[in-house]
Amino acid sequence: MRAEPRVPEAALAAIRAPFAGAGVVAVDPPILQPLGALLDVAGEALRARLFVVQAEGGAEACLRPDFTAAIARLHIESGAREGRYYYEGPAFRAAPAGSERAEEFLQVGLEVYGEAGGPTVAADAEIAALSWRAAAAGGRDDLTLWLGDVALFGAFVDALDLEPALAERLKRAAARPRLMQAELARAGGAADTGAEGGQLAATLAGLSTDQAAQLLEEVWALAGVERVGGRGAAEIAQRLIRRAQDARAPALSAAQADAVRAFLKVEDAPAGALETLQRIAPASAGFAAAIAGWRERLDLMTAAGVPVGAMRFAASLGYAFEYYDGLTLEVRSAALGGGRPLAAGGRYDGLPARLGGAKAACAVGAMVRPWRAFAGGEA
Amino acid sequence: MSEPLIMAVPSKGRLKEQVEEWLADCGLDLKASGGSRGYVAALKGQPAVVVRLLSAGDIAEALDAGDVHLGVTGEDLLRERGGDVDARVQLLRPLGFGRADLVVAVPKSWLDVDTMADLEAVAHDTVVRTGRRMRVATKYLVQTRAFFAAHGVTDYRITESSGATEGAPAAGTAELVVDITTTGATLVANGLKVLNDGLILSSQAQFAASLRASWSAGQLAAAERVLRIIEARAAARDSATLVWPARGDAAEAAVVADLVARGAARRPNGLLVPARDVADASLALAAARLGPLTVSRPDFVYDLDCAPYDALRTGVTRV
Repeated sequence: MRAEPRVPEAALAAIRAPFAGAGVVAVDPPILQPLGALLDVAGEALRARLFVVQAEGGAEACLRPDFTAAIARLHIESGAREGRYYYEGPAFRAAPAGSERAEEFLQVGLEVYGEAGGPTVAADAEIAALSWRAAAAGGRDDLTLWLGDVALFGAFVDALDLEPALAERLKRAAARPRLMQAELARAGGAADTGAEGGQLAATLAGLSTDQAAQLLEEVWALAGVERVGGRGAAEIAQRLIRRAQDARAPALSAAQADAVRAFLKVEDAPAGALETLQRIAPASAGFAAAIAGWRERLDLMTAAGVPVGAMRFAASLGYAFEYYDGLTLEVRSAALGGGRPLAAGGRYDGLPARLGGAKAACAVGAMVRPWRAFAGGEA
Repeated sequence: MSEPLIMAVPSKGRLKEQVEEWLADCGLDLKASGGSRGYVAALKGQPAVVVRLLSAGDIAEALDAGDVHLGVTGEDLLRERGGDVDARVQLLRPLGFGRADLVVAVPKSWLDVDTMADLEAVAHDTVVRTGRRMRVATKYLVQTRAFFAAHGVTDYRITESSGATEGAPAAGTAELVVDITTTGATLVANGLKVLNDGLILSSQAQFAASLRASWSAGQLAAAERVLRIIEARAAARDSATLVWPARGDAAEAAVVADLVARGAARRPNGLLVPARDVADASLALAAARLGPLTVSRPDFVYDLDCAPYDALRTGVTRV
């Protein structure tokens, strides 16, 4: 396993200072994390990057690939409603074959938990500004703070005023290029009325939930289908009905598809980007409020010392990460390129609930990789 | 003697028999050395080659790691090695046996799931409704991950399975499976159906070379000898020689030119044609009153070039 060189203590102290000084409790979660729980949160795609270990007869564990899920679990177990956690320690990710990347690397970071419905705008601005200051403390002078917002696309889709099923699909597709392509490709087309199982779905739609489930059981019995797998008759009957409805629902119009494409392509200085986004989106109170929230975030970040000229807004930033559901941020160095950010983070209100914690918490966090931030470090 | 060329062939089962038949058909009979239980063998007429008998899975691993130079194994096992396997293993020739499909199969009772798009929607519903991801039983982790990602399916978990994968949904340890099937009968017997667009890989046995093995000039030369024989035998199986008394007139020249344009090659006393074209060629010759025609099947057809060997040499020097 390739490990990163050590960052000189003086440089590390400077990088750690913004996070460590932010009124935090230092935590040190276990390096070994339960594999199943982590994959549940992050998805199977992460498995190829994990170092998996197992004692004889024990459950599978992995070396922590980052701290977010581990600290979320600590926070849930503590029973506290609010928490500000600082961490510093090694994280582990397997490099793809042939890559020279370090597989053991130092991360320092901050995770902030607040009450549901807490001040999201201020918390977002704080974490972004702290990330910027920590990354910049490493001494590089070619940095850019990239900003994005997964929830903004949701607000945009709502503003398009689509059929609920189509809107749902579109929001899901944001993180999945292939689904998005398929959705955009069928834009402007006619609704599909001859969907498979259409007749059965039509019959089921006229029945009560119980009757529909009963009918489906009869269909199975007639076809000699043995019931395996965890899904029950009622669930399958309901989805058959929904699938038929979805298929009948109109696709995006060509103009709407163009708007979606234009939206996801936006990448500009924040003020210009917000203006463009507002021009692309249909007028709606919800979307206007989201844009106003962003203007406020930018003002707060500027006030906290982030140079206006160092910020960029990219509408599709951070979608690859499964658990972000609001703000996304990355600090990049021109020398290291887009694939190796110095700092990364965002909002993940939904994560604690997925780990069995309180629903609709207010959670943001970010981490810095000191060896990348350090001007004499990663090249 | 210089270092031998190591070639791995399957050590058991139907695949072993098929590989032995194929090699014998090429005149490269396997000769067990070191007793009947030996796991080392020789190849008839190829003193520079040592044959190792390994399991198909171990052959895929050995090719990937560079522990053997050549080997026969299933493409499904090679693809499962992960990463850019084509940069490490060169496929030389598909062998036409050991066919099996790697497929995504769900319970037949899921009348609402026919495609990967349906699966994506149901997987998402499941995680939203229950907070738990749908479980996929498989031993093909790498290909499952890549295929699901390509179809935008992310709300699932893999349950590693080393045997009897198709029984996992019935046993309640997974909701669906990704598994190898030849006829689909086992899947059906377990209450499963293959998704319409659920074919991940149409696999067959492959003759392959490791690009990571150390290749000396002598080992490359030994590989060329073997490859030329294999290619010559494959070309011969696909061709027929046509011979007739030459007339030397313009009509004959026209018929020959036409057949050459359709894929035949000139030979001193006639033509070499693809086996499937023999009937058409005989009709064309008869129509021009050329005959009697003798058709024979060659044992070997050696071309000047040997494309798989050229590719191997290029691949080895690039690595």
